[in-house]
Amino acid sequence: MTWIFLIFMAVFAVLSFWGGRKLAVRRSQGVKPHSRPGQHGLYAAIGVLAPALAVMILAAVFSAPIERQLIAAGAPEAVSQLEPFRREAFIADARRVGQGGEALQIWAAPYAELLPTEGRRAHSIHAALSWGGMTAAVIAAILGALFVAFRIRPELRARNAVEGWVVGVLFACATVAVLTTVGIIFSLVYDSLRFFSMVSAFEFLFGTKWSPQIAIRADQVGSSGAFGAVPLFAGTFLIMLIAMAVAAPVGLFSAIYLSEYASKTTRAVVKPLLEVLAGVPTVVYGFFAALTVGPALRVFFNTIGGWLAGGPLDGIGQYLLLVQNQMALVAGAVMGIMLIPFVSSLSDDIMNAVPQSLRDGSYAMGATKSETVKKVLLPAALPGIAGALLLAVSRAIGETMIVTMAAGLAAKLTLNPLETVTTVTVQIVTLLTGDQEFNSPKTLAAFGLGLTLFVVTLALNVVAMRIVQAYREQYD
Amino acid sequence: MTDAVTPSGAVSARTQKLQARLKSRYARENRFKWAGRAAIGAALLFLVILLSSIVMQGYTAFYAHSVTLPVYMDPARIDRAYPQGTNFEFMVAEQQMARMGVTDDAAGTKTKAMRDLLSSELKFIAGDRVRAQPALIGQTLPISTPLSDDAEMYLKGKITRDTPEEFRRVTDQQMAWLDKFKADGLVRSHFNSAMFTNGDSTQPELAGLLGAVIGSALMLMVTAFIAIPVGVFAAVWLEEYAPRNRLTAIIEVNINNLAAVPSIVYGLLGLALFINFLHLPRASPMVGGLVLALMALPTIIIATRSALKAVPPSIREAALAMGASRTQTVFQHVLPLAMPGVMTGSIISMAHALGETAPLLLIGMISFVPGISAAIDAPAGALPSLIYIWENASERAFHERTAAAILVLLAFMIVMNAAAIVVRRRFERRW
Amino acid sequence: MPMNSKITRAPEGLSAGTASMSTAPAVGDSARAPLGPIKIAAKEVKVFYGEKQALHGVSLDIPDKAVTALIGPSGCGKSTFLRTLNRMNDTVPGARVEGRIEMDGVNINDKKIDPVLLRAQVGMVFQKPNPFPKSIFENVAYGPKIHGLASSKSELEDIVQSALKRAGLWDEVADRLHAPGTGLSGGQQQRLVIARAIAVEPEVILMDEPCSALDPIATAKIEELIDELRERYCIVIVTHSMAQAARVSQRTAFFHMGNIVETGDTEDIFTNPRERRTLDYITGRFG
Repeated sequence: MTWIFLIFMAVFAVLSFWGGRKLAVRRSQGVKPHSRPGQHGLYAAIGVLAPALAVMILAAVFSAPIERQLIAAGAPEAVSQLEPFRREAFIADARRVGQGGEALQIWAAPYAELLPTEGRRAHSIHAALSWGGMTAAVIAAILGALFVAFRIRPELRARNAVEGWVVGVLFACATVAVLTTVGIIFSLVYDSLRFFSMVSAFEFLFGTKWSPQIAIRADQVGSSGAFGAVPLFAGTFLIMLIAMAVAAPVGLFSAIYLSEYASKTTRAVVKPLLEVLAGVPTVVYGFFAALTVGPALRVFFNTIGGWLAGGPLDGIGQYLLLVQNQMALVAGAVMGIMLIPFVSSLSDDIMNAVPQSLRDGSYAMGATKSETVKKVLLPAALPGIAGALLLAVSRAIGETMIVTMAAGLAAKLTLNPLETVTTVTVQIVTLLTGDQEFNSPKTLAAFGLGLTLFVVTLALNVVAMRIVQAYREQYD
Repeated sequence: MTDAVTPSGAVSARTQKLQARLKSRYARENRFKWAGRAAIGAALLFLVILLSSIVMQGYTAFYAHSVTLPVYMDPARIDRAYPQGTNFEFMVAEQQMARMGVTDDAAGTKTKAMRDLLSSELKFIAGDRVRAQPALIGQTLPISTPLSDDAEMYLKGKITRDTPEEFRRVTDQQMAWLDKFKADGLVRSHFNSAMFTNGDSTQPELAGLLGAVIGSALMLMVTAFIAIPVGVFAAVWLEEYAPRNRLTAIIEVNINNLAAVPSIVYGLLGLALFINFLHLPRASPMVGGLVLALMALPTIIIATRSALKAVPPSIREAALAMGASRTQTVFQHVLPLAMPGVMTGSIISMAHALGETAPLLLIGMISFVPGISAAIDAPAGALPSLIYIWENASERAFHERTAAAILVLLAFMIVMNAAAIVVRRRFERRW
Repeated sequence: MPMNSKITRAPEGLSAGTASMSTAPAVGDSARAPLGPIKIAAKEVKVFYGEKQALHGVSLDIPDKAVTALIGPSGCGKSTFLRTLNRMNDTVPGARVEGRIEMDGVNINDKKIDPVLLRAQVGMVFQKPNPFPKSIFENVAYGPKIHGLASSKSELEDIVQSALKRAGLWDEVADRLHAPGTGLSGGQQQRLVIARAIAVEPEVILMDEPCSALDPIATAKIEELIDELRERYCIVIVTHSMAQAARVSQRTAFFHMGNIVETGDTEDIFTNPRERRTLDYITGRFG
C-alpha cells in the first residue's frame, strides 16, 4: 500500500515537471522568460512534492504515537488494567489476530475473547490513520500544484527559487549532524534525570558498591540495588591504562619508523597491513580476546603459578594458579592491539606535519636520525602526539565489544591487571540486554552511565582536537 | 663511515673527540632503529596471530559430516495418518543398536546415547520422505542425516580420547560407534552448505548465516540510502555554501566530535529515540540501519569534504565566469569531479558500519532470531551480533562457527574495501 | 670575540689590471683580497634525482677564508651542488651523487666518509630560518651537545656565548637565552641559526639563499656578518640576488641548466664576463 502510494506520488511529481515545463513554454510565447523551461518544470515538481513530503513525514512520525493513544483510549476495562508490558504484548497479539495471524501467547479468559474485536479495532484505527495521512498528502500535493500553476509566468525567477530550495535541502542535511548531537544529549539527559531522581548523583559518582540487581517484586530479599559506579570507573581506567601501555609505545615507534626510517616500499607494504588491523571489527577482537588470548594467558600464569607454588613465593604461586580467563590484562592488551594502528596513523600524520626544514637543520648539524627524532622532532611534535594519545584514550574508554566479551561482570575496585574487572560500557550492555523493565533504576542506570561516558569522551575529544588543531596551525 | 678518514687529513684533537663519541652515538642510533622495527614487527605479528587464530579455529566449520544409515521404515512405529509425528531418531537409534549387536540396554540409556549422535534434523528428513511417499513405509531405505554437534566435534578431532571421559561430551562407547560408522563407510565429509543456506538455530549443526547476512544487507541498504545522500549534501553545503559564521563553526565542531563519540552512545540514542519514543520495531533492520546511518554520517561528511576540497578552485571560477550559478557550478562541475573520492569514502564507511556491533546489541539484536526474515520492519539478525551471540553459546561446536562467521564477515569487508580501492585507482584524478 | 672588523671589499680599481680568466681560483694572487688555499675541489660532480639528472658534471674549486657565491636562474642546480658539499643529498630518497669532492684532499663523496662527522665540519644555513622549537640557548647548544664537544656545563655556556657573539646576536639575546628561539624576528632567527652552525666549530659554512626570507635591514646585517665570518671560515653562498653576490663574495660561479657556465673572481664576473649567457643573466635579460 505504502509502496503504491509512493510510486503514485513519484508519478505525480514527474507529471508536474512536464506540466510546469509546458506551461512555461506556452505562457512565454513572444517573451524572453527569466528561466528556462526545465527550471520551471523543476519548480513545479518541487511545488508539488515539498508540501506532500512535509505532510508524509509528519504523518510517519506522529501516526505511531497517535495510534497508540487511540488504541489505549478505546480499550475495554480489562485491557487497560493490564501491566504496561502485558498490555503491549496483548495489543501486539490482537493486531496479529486482526490481520489473520495467530497470537504468540495463550491468553486467559477475558482476553482470549477480546483478541479478535480488539484486533479489528486496532486494524481499523491503523487503516484510518494511514488513509488519513495519504489523503492529506495528496491534498497538499494538489494545493501545491494549483499554487505552482498560478505562479508560472515568464518573469518568474524559477531558477533562483529552485536553487533556493536546493540550498535549503543541503542546509537541512548539514543540520542533521547537529540534531544528532541534540538527540544524543536529550535522550541521555532525559533518562539520566529520571535515574538520578531515584538514585542520588553523589552516590552514583562516588559510591564504591555496584550491584544493580533489583528484585522484581518488592517483597523479595535484597530488593534495593547499589549504584556506586566507582568500581566501574576504576575498571575502565585500568583497562584503558593497559591498552595505552601497549598501544602508545608500539604505535609511536611504528609511526617514527615509518615516517623517518622506512623506505618507500616498506611503507607501501606496512601501511596497508596496519590499515587491515584498523579495519578489523571490534567484535572480532572480542572473539580473539575471549577465545585465544584469554585462555593462553591463563595457561601462562597458571604454569608460572605451578612453578612458584610450594616455593618461597608460594603465596604468589597460589594466586597465579587461580587466575581466570577474564582478566583485565586480556581485554586491555587486545584493546591495545586494536589501538596500535590508530595511534600509529595519527602520530604518523603529526610527525609528517613537522616541517622538513627542522629535519634538514638537524641533519646539517651532523645529528644522526635518532638524535634528530629524539631531540628535534619529538619535542616539536609533542603537543600533537599528546592530542593523538588523548584521542586513543577516548576510544579505549568508549570501546565496548572487547570488554563485553573478554572482561568480566564483577565490579571490583582493584588495579591488579590479573583480576576480573568490569567497565562502564560492559555494564551499559548488561543492563540493557536480557530481561529488562522500563522505568526501573536498573535500566535507567545505563543512561546515567551513558551520559557519564559521553561527557568524559566528549571532553577528551574536544581537548585533544584543540591541541592537535593548534599544533597544525603552528606549522601551516 | 670509518675512523681514519677525515676531511682535514690530519687527525686533530677535535676530530678524535668527535670520533670517540661516534661509536656510542651509532650504537644508540641502531638501538632506536631496532626499537622501531620491533614495534612494526610486533604490530604485524599481532595481525598474523589474530588472523591465523581465526582461520585455524574457523576453517573446520566449512566442512561437515553426514551419516547415511539404512533405515527400516517400521510400520509398527509410523502412524500412517501423521507420519511426521514419529520419533524417527529413536527408531533409527534402536535399529543401529540391533545392527551393532548391543542388547544389554534395559534402561534405554545406550539407545539415548546412540540417538544423541544424530542431529534432530533426522526427524524432518525421514518424516518428509515418508509423508511424500507413504509407500515407503515397510521398506528399508538409506537416509542421510547430519551428525549431532558433539559427534561432529569428535570426527573433526576437537574432542579426543586424551581427555578423561567424565570431562568430555562424547563417551568412549559413542566414540566406538562413530568409529564403526566410519569403518562401515557410512560417514561422508562434505562442504557445509547448510551454514550458508540456514538461518540461526539452537542446534549448532543446523545453525547458518543466511538470516544474519540478509539482515546485515537490509540494514546496510537503509544506512546507505540515508547516510550517503544526507552526508554528501551536508558536506556540499559546508564546503560550497556555508557562510563563515558561528553557526557554521558550531556545525563543523559538531561533526568532528560526532565522529569520535563511542558507538555504544549511538546505541543508547537508538534505543531511546527510535524504539522507546518513536516505537519503531525493535531489532529490525530499519532501526539498525537508522542508527548506523547516524554513525556513518560524520565519516561520509568528512570524506566528501576532503574530496570537494581537492577539486581546484579554478574549475569553480571557470564555471562561474561562464555565467553558471553557484548551484549549477557545484552540481554540474564540482560534485561530479569529486565523485570518486565521495564513493571511496562512502564504501569504506559502509564497510565500517557492517562490522559495528555495540549499538546493535542495545536496539535488541542480541536475541535469538530463528530462520530467515527478509522484512525491514521485523526482528532480524546481523552478522556481527550473530558472532557475539554464537561466541556466548556454550556448545563447543559454536566456537568454530563463530570463527567461520568472522571469516565471512571479513570476506565481505575485504570485498567492500577492495571495491573502494578499485574506484580510487580507476577514477582518481590528480590535479 | 670583539666585533670591530669593518666590511672589507675586494679593492676596487684593481680588477681591470688583473682580469685573469683562469677557471682555477687566483690562489696567492696578492693583488686580490686575501683568498685562502683551495679548501674544496669538486670534480665532475653529477647528481641524479631518480631518473632526472640535476647536475651534469660540475667542477669547481672553492678557496678557504673567502666567500664563494653560486648564482644562476631557478632550477640551475646551484642549491643541489651546495647540498653535495655536506652530503645533504643523502637524506633525499632516490638521490645519487657521482664524482669527486675533495676537501683538504680527501674525497668526501665517498661511502667511507661518515656524513655525521663531515657535517660537524661543514655547517649549513638554510633559506628559511629554521630554529628548533627550543630555547635560544638549547638551539646553539644542540650541536656541541650531540657531538659531545663540551665536557662541562660552563664550557657549554662558553661555547654558546662565543657562538652567539660571533653571530652578532649576543647583545640582543643575552638577557633571554631561555626564551624560545622561534620567538625571535626573522633576521635574528637567521643569525641564531648561523650561531648554531658556528657552535660546532666548522671549517666550511654553506648558506642556501640565507637572506631570501628577510627584509633589507636584516639582510644587511647578515651580509655584514658573512663578511666578518670570512676571516675564519670557507663560506659558500647560494643567492638569487646579483647585488648580494657582488657585495659579499670574492669568487662567483654562474650555474645554468646543471652546468657551470663561468667561474671567476666576483669583480670579473660582474664587470667583464666572458660568456654571453653570464652577461645576459647579470644584466637581467633572463633568470
